[in-house]
Amino acid sequence: MREQPSNTGETGGTDRVRLSCVVNGEKVSALVEPHLTLLSFLRQELKLLGVKEGCGEGECGACTVIMNGNAVNSCLTLALEAEGARILTVEGLSNGGGLSALQEEFVKHDALQCGFCTPGMLMSARALLDRNPDPGTEEIKEAVAGNLCRCTGYYPILEAITAAAKREREGEQR
Amino acid sequence: MVGSFDYLRPQSLAEALEFLHKQPETCRVLAGGTDLLVLIRRSVASPAHLLDIKALPETGRFEYTLGEGLLIGAAVTVNRLAESPLVREKYPALADAAGALATYQVRNRATLVGNICNASPGSDLAPALLVFEARVRVKSLNGSREIPIDEFFTGVKKTVLKPDELVTEVFLPDPGEGDKSVYLKQGRVKGHDLAVAGVAVRLTGSKKLCLAVSALAPAPLRLRHLEEMLNAVGFDAVTAEKAALEVEHFIRPISDIRASAEYRKHIAAALLKRAIRHCEGGGKSA
Ligand SMILES: Cc1cc2nc3c(=O)[nH]c(=O)nc-3n(C[C@H](O)[C@H](O)[C@H](O)COP(=O)(O)OP(=O)(O)OC[C@H]3O[C@@H](n4cnc5c(N)ncnc54)[C@H](O)[C@@H]3O)c2cc1C
Ligand code: FES
Ligand code: FES
Repeated sequence: MREQPSNTGETGGTDRVRLSCVVNGEKVSALVEPHLTLLSFLRQELKLLGVKEGCGEGECGACTVIMNGNAVNSCLTLALEAEGARILTVEGLSNGGGLSALQEEFVKHDALQCGFCTPGMLMSARALLDRNPDPGTEEIKEAVAGNLCRCTGYYPILEAITAAAKREREGEQR
Repeated sequence: MVGSFDYLRPQSLAEALEFLHKQPETCRVLAGGTDLLVLIRRSVASPAHLLDIKALPETGRFEYTLGEGLLIGAAVTVNRLAESPLVREKYPALADAAGALATYQVRNRATLVGNICNASPGSDLAPALLVFEARVRVKSLNGSREIPIDEFFTGVKKTVLKPDELVTEVFLPDPGEGDKSVYLKQGRVKGHDLAVAGVAVRLTGSKKLCLAVSALAPAPLRLRHLEEMLNAVGFDAVTAEKAALEVEHFIRPISDIRASAEYRKHIAAALLKRAIRHCEGGGKSA
């Protein structure tokens, strides 16, 4: 575990506070420092290394997770703001070890190369399909516009999401 | 996150105001955190206390009363506005602006009140609030006050708010029948970016124009003098052209990494003309 920055006592307290939430369906309870981001909490405390840090400032979307049904940047959310929340990360997408339809379509369409953007991209796509099972191309673009990809050129990603939406609509298990 | 602060999440307004009263200088209000947490990360801000206002019952309010207007609580997110059929119908310029702000994920956290309290010259929501003559409702332990939005901004990242004051909500009067409005934003890229220029135009049912801009002056700006000039002769087929010709005399754009002042003047004229034409043409999607 990373060394936490020490409390200098000059700029207010950093006493650890109890956080309880549900991550990928499991109840989690931990003592966290108030300035810990949700991103750091998921990576450092829970070892959910699928959650990536790119910019740390809301620009790239690599850290996207689903909190209470909404896609959010975990780098711009404090861990303590997740008190009582339901959090879904990429680790929670696959069911029983197998890949979900959405993940399979990403593989099939070459929607990933280096893979760094992929967990965040998948979470934005998951949140989209949960609120809109039949999105048009413009809606898909809008939903993932906050997820930067430097490898694929985006089109394979749009195709993968479109194909996954179709499979899910046809009643296939997520 | 760099910095070291404690985190408070009061459940009542009284508690929150009490805390702000005791620690006005070292405490910062936390709404969506999409401005504040970036500032803390960059060590531009280093508050000792963050006061999360999202659990206060008052801040969650989002209520429209016919003939009166729309009340938007301080915890209401930008996506809530972007996706509201009511906002789309009654306050289209606000719906446009909400949909043009940042990315989907950021909009799920960002609040309208946080956007105006942050007081960026490039605020996307301010021009729409200016043309609808929004009122900012503020509370502190010493009482409450209501600030017309065009008196709210005082400069780059500056507002009339005092450190112990909390904005509880913003109120938008009902625009009434026949009201048309639109917000047009020019960025550097088609995807998300801060505005190079943003223009809100409203044409009321009685054919009065209201105009406001962002990223074209040190603070979001209502173009009152230009409005008066145009409204004095009445709305007609050449109003859009005239506005486009004149607007450069009423704004104070700067050159920065996003655009030159010259380009900003040019784009302000183009957006203004397009926006007025849009309202003239019945106000269907721009
Ligand atoms: C990647 C990215 C892209 C962005 N793009 C845009 C864009 O295109 N257009 C745009 O306009 N903005 C943009 N922003 C800025 C930001 O998202 C918005 O300004 C947002 O609306 C701020 O709201 P918030 O709730 O996150 O504010 P916070 O960060 O929580 O607060 C902002 C400031 O307001 C104060 N404050 C908040 N609520 C209150 C209150 N009730 N009473 C008193 N003070 C209060 C805080 O103390 C802080 O100083 C972007 C930000 C990011 C990270
Ligand atoms: S790491 Fe959160 S948006 Fe880049
Ligand atoms: S696959 Fe490399 S950044 Fe998207």
